[in-house]
Amino acid sequence: MRKNIRTGLSLLLAGAMTATMLTGCGQSMADDAGAATATADNTADIAEETTQQTEDSTKEQNSETQASGEAVTITAWHDNDEAMMNALADVVNERLASENITLRFEKKADVTGQIRLYGTDAANGPDMYLFAHDSLGGFAEMGILEPVGNLISADKEKDLLPMTLEAASYKDEQYLMPVYYETLLFMYNKDLWEGDIPSTTEELYEYMVEHTDANSGTYALVNQHSNSYNVAPFINGFGGYIIDKDANPGLNLQETKDAISYNKKFAELQADGDYNTVTALFSEGKAAAIIGGPWLVSGIKEAGIDLGIKSLCDFTLPNGEVMTPYSGVQCLGVLKYAAENKKEAITRVLEVLAEPEAGITLAKEFNCAPANTKAYEDADVAANEMILAMEKSAEKAVPMSNIPEMGVMWGPAESLLAAVNKSGEDVDTAADKYQEEALQAIADMH
Amino acid sequence: MKNSRKKFTPWLYNLPAFILIGIIVLFPILYTGYISFTNMNLYHWQDYTFVGADNYVRALGKLNSDFFSALWTTIGWTAANMILDVGLAYILAVGLNAEGLRARRIYKTLIIFPWAMPAYVSILAWRVGMYNTEFGLLNKILVALGFEKADFLSKNVPAFLSCMVLNLWMSLPYMIVMFDGALQSIDRSMYESAILDGAGAWQKNWYITIPSLRKVMAPVVIMTTFTTFKQFDIVYLLTMQKGSVSGSTMQTIITYAHQNAFVSNNYGLSSAVSIVIFVIIIAFSMWTNRAAKET
Repeated sequence: MRKNIRTGLSLLLAGAMTATMLTGCGQSMADDAGAATATADNTADIAEETTQQTEDSTKEQNSETQASGEAVTITAWHDNDEAMMNALADVVNERLASENITLRFEKKADVTGQIRLYGTDAANGPDMYLFAHDSLGGFAEMGILEPVGNLISADKEKDLLPMTLEAASYKDEQYLMPVYYETLLFMYNKDLWEGDIPSTTEELYEYMVEHTDANSGTYALVNQHSNSYNVAPFINGFGGYIIDKDANPGLNLQETKDAISYNKKFAELQADGDYNTVTALFSEGKAAAIIGGPWLVSGIKEAGIDLGIKSLCDFTLPNGEVMTPYSGVQCLGVLKYAAENKKEAITRVLEVLAEPEAGITLAKEFNCAPANTKAYEDADVAANEMILAMEKSAEKAVPMSNIPEMGVMWGPAESLLAAVNKSGEDVDTAADKYQEEALQAIADMH
Repeated sequence: MKNSRKKFTPWLYNLPAFILIGIIVLFPILYTGYISFTNMNLYHWQDYTFVGADNYVRALGKLNSDFFSALWTTIGWTAANMILDVGLAYILAVGLNAEGLRARRIYKTLIIFPWAMPAYVSILAWRVGMYNTEFGLLNKILVALGFEKADFLSKNVPAFLSCMVLNLWMSLPYMIVMFDGALQSIDRSMYESAILDGAGAWQKNWYITIPSLRKVMAPVVIMTTFTTFKQFDIVYLLTMQKGSVSGSTMQTIITYAHQNAFVSNNYGLSSAVSIVIFVIIIAFSMWTNRAAKET
């Protein structure tokens, strides 16, 4: 009898455990399957049905709220400074308060990876994301983005810098909404730098030789010398490239190799080139200058450094050309399902962000260079040394390539630079090796 | 009737566990297998189709000289780490059990610390705190002794050794604790008899301790061998992390697979590469299991 009770109880518990487990998984399994169904036609029918129901209910809910003028919240993922994103949201939310539209930014690590995962998942994904434009091609090919041109009229964007609009477009279609842009700058500690800032890279090199003592840990200029984004000012200036618009890698082009060889002599005087190392050296006053972007400013100011700024385009290379950095345009992308569900609200958000006010706020508080040209008419923005330097750079800067193949080029390009600068490999041999690797990586994409 | 119920009941008891294992372990493998037969990539994200064994042909094409170089590195890495791991752990565990050792509990607590730290934190702490050219302890010592700074991670051999030292630092505590536990289980009377027979420290170790530990430690050694064989974090984060590539071209088969499949966003191809690597690891597992049984 007792044994029977025990068996019955065990069975009951086992059944309850199974049921609880499945119940617990129910929502997330359906959601997960939803993500898969959105990307795959062949996944289980039940999951697909569940997803469809969820999406339908979301759609209904949104159209209802929009139709009746009730509150609509637009969620945007980013991986930027949160204070900056909140300031941007405040601008939008103040303007759209009367329309009951709220923009909410959520910080996510690895935004591009997350968008790839949730880009077709209306239930769990965001409505928009803010990220640099170089990831555009991949998302456009995946078919998850709504072209911004379908949401906002060209007239509203007439004041945006042509360079930023070019960066936001892929295959003649404008997919993204430019907000602000960044370029690398020559940033120096006014208390440590002796004399004037040179105007040629050769003079700069001479200064570095005289003012660098690696063993005592003091440097004239530090740079992430093996990061292709940071070496791009040399590569572009020498006429080379990492990848062209037709997806041909240019790692073993003579011009690229010349640039890498030229960069190497600077690299020998720039510590190990790791991001943490070079920023710490500059912040601790052990390096007089650094090649970096506006994202470093808050840390530098916290360290109490009297910061001076110069555009990299003010340095002339031995071939007579100027250093030409990449420009990275921070843009908003709209997910297709969000454009279907919340079109009016998203259009209003984009319209507000296309106006000068958002750019002025970011410029004044965070030294960002606005995409809107009218923002530069503001007195404070016009007087901002960093923004002026970036504006000057923008005239020459090359927007990072936004084709999907760019995504697989960072690895081989960085490996090539590390092989030359850190392992002492021959430039020609290493360039051929990593050109092959890049070609293979591009072939593997298809 | 009673017999069939008896047969059925254990399966019923295990059903929740089977379902859980099915969802967590089996489903991802089967789904990866399914994707490996499709052309799912950036260009066919939502409209992917069945492509037969195409991805496997391409995956096997990646088993070239670079792959075999990575495989040999992995075998060398596993062998070197395991020999040192087991050897050092044994010596330290025996030391911790030496008669008359004071504050042994404090030592045992301290020794577990590297194992308790999250791997990511440990690796980055070592990269900056030990190996960094500007802030690393090793370079501070070199400069203090009048030597030039050294980049420990820029070339293959020093990078291999640096990764190995860190791997040992991270894995030794577990091995020491296991050895320590196994040492406790040895009957003390055997040592007393050996002493009466005139055995020294070496003979006691060779004829009593090591044979007694063999069976207890075999599963631990096998598991650690696997962990070491498929090590990814240490090699990747010390030498290959995006933005901090060190210049070393050292590859294990897992980093090789990552570099050759997962950066391309071609999920069909990367799934096929994963399945091939999975088969290799399963074969390795069967071989080590058989070797363990034979000993």
